[in-house]
Amino acid sequence: MAQSFPEDVLEHVFSFLNYDKDRNAVSLVCKSWYEIERLCRRRIFIGNCYAVSPEIVIRRFPDVRAVELKGKPHFADFNLVPEGWGGYVYPWIVSLARAYPWLEEIKLKRMVVTDESLELISKSFKNFKVLVLLSCEGFTTDGLASIAANCRNLRELDLGESEVEDLSGHWLSHFPDNCTSLVSLNISCLGSEVSFCALERLVARCPNLKTLRLNRAVPLEKLPNLLCRAPQLVELGTGAYSAEIQSDIFSNLAEAFLGCKQLKGLSGFWDVVPAYLPAMYSVCSRITSLNLSYATAQNPELVHFVSQCSNLQRLWVLDYIEDAGLEALAASCKDLHELRVFPSDPFDAEANVSLTEQGLVAVSEGCPKLQSVLYFCRQMSNAALVAIARSRPNMIRFRLCIIEPRAPDYLTLEPLDTGFGAIVENCKELRRLSMSGLLTDRVFEYIGTHAKKLEMLSIAFAGDSDLGLHHVLSGCESLRKLEIRDCPFGDKALLANATKLETMRSLWMSSCSVSFGACKLLGQKMPRLNVEVINERGPPDSGPESCPVEKLYVYRTIAGPRVDMPGFVWTMDEQVSSSLSRVTERRGD
Amino acid sequence: MELQLRLALSSNSDEGFDLNNRNQEQQVEDCRLMKKKRCFDETFGEIENVQVPQTLPLLDHIDLCVPGYGRNECDEEDGVVGWPPINSWRKRVCHQAHHDNRRGCITTNYVTVKNGGGGGGSGGGRSKSMHIKVKMEGVGIARKVDLSRHHSYQTLTDTLSAMFGDEKVQAYKLTYQDKEGDWLLAGDMPWGTFINSVQRLKLLRNGY
Repeated sequence: MAQSFPEDVLEHVFSFLNYDKDRNAVSLVCKSWYEIERLCRRRIFIGNCYAVSPEIVIRRFPDVRAVELKGKPHFADFNLVPEGWGGYVYPWIVSLARAYPWLEEIKLKRMVVTDESLELISKSFKNFKVLVLLSCEGFTTDGLASIAANCRNLRELDLGESEVEDLSGHWLSHFPDNCTSLVSLNISCLGSEVSFCALERLVARCPNLKTLRLNRAVPLEKLPNLLCRAPQLVELGTGAYSAEIQSDIFSNLAEAFLGCKQLKGLSGFWDVVPAYLPAMYSVCSRITSLNLSYATAQNPELVHFVSQCSNLQRLWVLDYIEDAGLEALAASCKDLHELRVFPSDPFDAEANVSLTEQGLVAVSEGCPKLQSVLYFCRQMSNAALVAIARSRPNMIRFRLCIIEPRAPDYLTLEPLDTGFGAIVENCKELRRLSMSGLLTDRVFEYIGTHAKKLEMLSIAFAGDSDLGLHHVLSGCESLRKLEIRDCPFGDKALLANATKLETMRSLWMSSCSVSFGACKLLGQKMPRLNVEVINERGPPDSGPESCPVEKLYVYRTIAGPRVDMPGFVWTMDEQVSSSLSRVTERRGD
Repeated sequence: MELQLRLALSSNSDEGFDLNNRNQEQQVEDCRLMKKKRCFDETFGEIENVQVPQTLPLLDHIDLCVPGYGRNECDEEDGVVGWPPINSWRKRVCHQAHHDNRRGCITTNYVTVKNGGGGGGSGGGRSKSMHIKVKMEGVGIARKVDLSRHHSYQTLTDTLSAMFGDEKVQAYKLTYQDKEGDWLLAGDMPWGTFINSVQRLKLLRNGY
């Protein structure tokens, strides 16, 4: 049957398959489909850079044009992964440079990228078009200068929220005068000034520029200069949105915005001066995406601005919006898909704003399309969670952070098991869940029973015993990523569900009760998992085997144990006992 | 109530842990205690002179710990590492906002802490209340106290006792950070002078 279509017909059919899942499925049909598919796959996504080696990838897929790689575990965003842990992209770039001279796109997340890597990218790929570096680190503006200078057809340069060492703002001037290909430029993470003249000229000569995200150092007075030269912009990230109150600044700004008829997304707004918000009123009705999460504006100016955006689909905002603002949002923005409310004063137990569970309930009830929530608050109740679950069975991502760890239902002082239970029971399409507050093993029973589509779960300061972890590992069929911190989960559930871990991308457990002995056992029994112990205080075998490890990161891999581990990371495999005793001998213990 | 370095404000000693696991729990607790203590030793080495590194309370991205330790173990104001879960970009915005607030920066207007009453609360400029952050060593989350409601160290200590527990406050010494960023022992200055220069308060364990 497989031979009835000539190869090029099959290849043509496969070219319509863009999702990795679909391509992986067709690869499994038969050997000849596997062969045809691998020769024509152009995009690869590697969710964990240590799950596979560059050599294995290149051997299977000889002609790739776009690579996406992710490095550190998600909890690295919150400083739980020590510096030097890994995620180095350089070895990948070396191999990719050799194998894929026609590579066009590289997207990296949470990886360590050096100037050397950037220079190698800029010189190895003649048709390089897209560089996206999200939450990366390790490079300087010198590396960016290489990219600017050597990538003749660069379309997209997105620095995400990376940590860039700012040596000079002149890197931007390295874009040659004949570079007109930019479609997207995001430099919002850069600390110091870029050369504004160079920026202005660059923007002016790139007629296809659709996304421009400036850094804080670009002053508000200069924003009209850029907007006038790029009226076709679809997404704009302002620089600092503050200036002395002067009518000519305001009118220039308003006029410039008036000319931007395509604008759909806004972000930036550092140091916002509310008096300047009305300058954007002319674009508000077209805005679908609004990121005010760095804007320290308050009500009434804040909610007034947001309410103007009747077609809003995505809103990121600080909790200055308060319950009242969210109620207004629920009334005016019926198209809202995604809401993220960040805390303005996260390290204070006492509230500085009037934002409670009521705001979230209001939006859940008022916005029928709401499917993605990230909400920081200081009080929650089971009743509210049940209401949210009942209003929004279409919820896909639900992340709730109650600022105080283990906070109970503030009305009844009970755990929030029932509330989160209602979420997983009603929201059958739920793919991502982050929980907080006082939670017992019972909530995990609900999750294991109902959350069949759940792919990513984040747990902190929750649960009573191993039973909790066992419910999750044994019940959540679609689970890919599990990250846990400060929970009383130990060896039993982990070892009982060892094979489950091979069906997942990764498991992170820190400040839990998993013993060194159990980690060793897991590593020895499961050769296709890398079981990595992170112990900054010293080798894990310096105490008894029952002593808990500080942090544990387990992930499936076909590349074997990694070779670039720092001194505080140990891989548990068959060699682990002997290699550890060698270490202690050397140290003269 | 003996001192317990826990990861939450309230004491949750009866969470129904399996008794069989008690030893393991204790070990976990010990390991955590050790880790925290070492962190404090490294960073509060000069506490005798009540000279604390100026950057300690506010700024992130300053590595206060000995190399070999996690980079930012101590940067969340001695609280729980990585909690609440916000990334460094957002933390900078929060810190910046409070820095500006204290300097009376006019480009931003801040809500002052509501004292339980209703009402608008937001609006430009600073109100007459004087909310100062209070941190107790070993407690994850800071509180705030309105100094404008006090007129002596005694009433202040009474309020702090109510907040943190009487025994604790007696066992700790109260320090404050002045306008120059120096940490000093509270009580040496006349109250009026103290009020004019205090930026934040910190309760430190005796015995350092």
